[in-house]
Amino acid sequence: MTDTIAPSDTVADAVRSGELPGRVWLYSNYNCNLACSYCLTESSPRSERRQLSAEQMIAVAEQAKNLGFTALGITGGEPFLIPWLPETALAMAESLPLVLLTNGTLFTGDRFERAARLAHPDIALQISLDSHLPDVNDMARGPDNFAKVVQAVPLLIARGVRVRIATTVSGALDDPLLDPLKQLVASLGVREDDHLIRPIVRRGRADEVGLGIRAVARDIPNELTITADGAFWGSFGPTVRSGRLDTDLLLTRTILPLAVPAAALLAASRGMPAGTDARLGIR
Amino acid sequence: MPRVDLLDSECAPITVQQYFANGDPGPIVGALATVPELLEPTLGFVGAALGAGAIGVRYKEFAILRTSVLQGCDYCIHAHTAVSLDSGLSTTEVRALRGEIPLEAGFALESERSLIGWIDALAGATGPVPDDVWSAARRHWGEHVLVELTVTIGATMFLNRFATGLQLPTADHVLERLTTEGLA
Repeated sequence: MTDTIAPSDTVADAVRSGELPGRVWLYSNYNCNLACSYCLTESSPRSERRQLSAEQMIAVAEQAKNLGFTALGITGGEPFLIPWLPETALAMAESLPLVLLTNGTLFTGDRFERAARLAHPDIALQISLDSHLPDVNDMARGPDNFAKVVQAVPLLIARGVRVRIATTVSGALDDPLLDPLKQLVASLGVREDDHLIRPIVRRGRADEVGLGIRAVARDIPNELTITADGAFWGSFGPTVRSGRLDTDLLLTRTILPLAVPAAALLAASRGMPAGTDARLGIR
Repeated sequence: MPRVDLLDSECAPITVQQYFANGDPGPIVGALATVPELLEPTLGFVGAALGAGAIGVRYKEFAILRTSVLQGCDYCIHAHTAVSLDSGLSTTEVRALRGEIPLEAGFALESERSLIGWIDALAGATGPVPDDVWSAARRHWGEHVLVELTVTIGATMFLNRFATGLQLPTADHVLERLTTEGLA
C-alpha cells in the first residue's frame, strides 16, 4: 500500500498549482432534522447517522494541513445534531480554516449558545436560504425554515460568528429574481461575498424527482471528501439514491491516513479530461 | 444470491472504471470494486499467482481446481472446470482432480501425483505439512516449482473463501457448458 501513498509535497504541489482544490470536506453525519426536496444524501430524521468520530475529524484536519491542503469544510446531514460538534470544529480550526454547513434551524437555547462559541477568525457557518419568500423557501426546506434562519443569522453575527448564506437554485444563477433575496441576505448582516448561489445538482433525492443540472465527475470540483463510508471525488460524490450510497465517485474506503485517498484523488484527477465545473457553478 | 452488491459499469468507482470498460468483468471484480483501493493490488496478485507463470497452465490448473474442490468452493470449481478443459486437461483428468474417480485413474505419472499430493497436503488439511509429502514432490520438481505452486494454492484458497463467503454466482454460460459436458 505504501507505494500508493502520495508524498506530502506531491499533494501540496497539486494544491498550489490548482490541480487539486485546497478544501477537504468531511460529512460529519448523514441524519438531519429536515428532509429537503433536493437533498443529495436523502438526509432526514430517519437516516442512519453514519457519523465520523471526533478523533477521525481532528485527524483529517491535522493530516490535511500536513499534506498541503489549505481549508476544511464540514457538512452533513445536519452537523449540529452532534452534541460535540462545536468543540471538534474549534479543534479542527487549529489546523486549517473551516466552513461549517448547517440548516440554521436548531439555534435555540443551549444549541444557540454552543453555536455562538464558534466566533473564531478561522470558522464560518454556512446556512442555507433559498428564497426571500417564506412559502417558497419552506416548500423545499420544510415548515418554518425561513423564519428560523432569518432569526438566527443576525443573532449569530451579533455574537461575532461569521455567517455565509448558501442559496441553491433550480434556475439561472444570475436570475434577477434573486435580487430581493440578495437584499434580504445583506439586511441580515451577511457580506455580499459571503452569499453563495449554486445550482441544484441532479444526484441523490434531486435525481429521483428530476431536479437540477446533470453532472458527471468532470463537472464536479474534485475536492477530497471524507465520510464514514469512505473518501469521494467532490462534496457532491457521496450521494444517496433510493437508500443506496452512490459509489461512482468513490475513491477509497480508507479515509486515514489521509494520504491514501489524497493519492487516489490525484491519480484520478490526472486521468480526467478538463471539466465544466466553472461554467456550471457547482460548489 | 450474492451477499454484496456486485458493482456494474454504472456504479463502478471512478478509480477502477477501467476494469468495466469492456463489459461485465465478472463477480469477483464486481465485489472487489466496493473497496476500490483493494481491486488493483488484489487482481495483480491473483493474476500473477493463477496465471501461467513459469510452471505452465496445466499444473496451475491442477492447483486451482484441486484446491477449490478441497475447499468446497462451487464458484471456483465451476469456473476452473471450464478453464481446465480449455487448457487441455482431459475430462478424465478433470474428474480425477474433482475427486469423482481415483487419482490413479486420471494420472499415470508419479511425478504429477506427487504434485497433487503437495496440493492435497496444503489445501486439504491444517497444521504442519508432512516431510514425506514434500520429499515425494521434491524428487520430481525443483524448489521454484513448488514455491510457485504453493503461491497458487494460497491465492486459490483466498479466492475460494472470498467467492464462497460472498456467495458469488456462477455465470449462466459456464453452468450451461458444464451441464452439456456432464460436469455441472
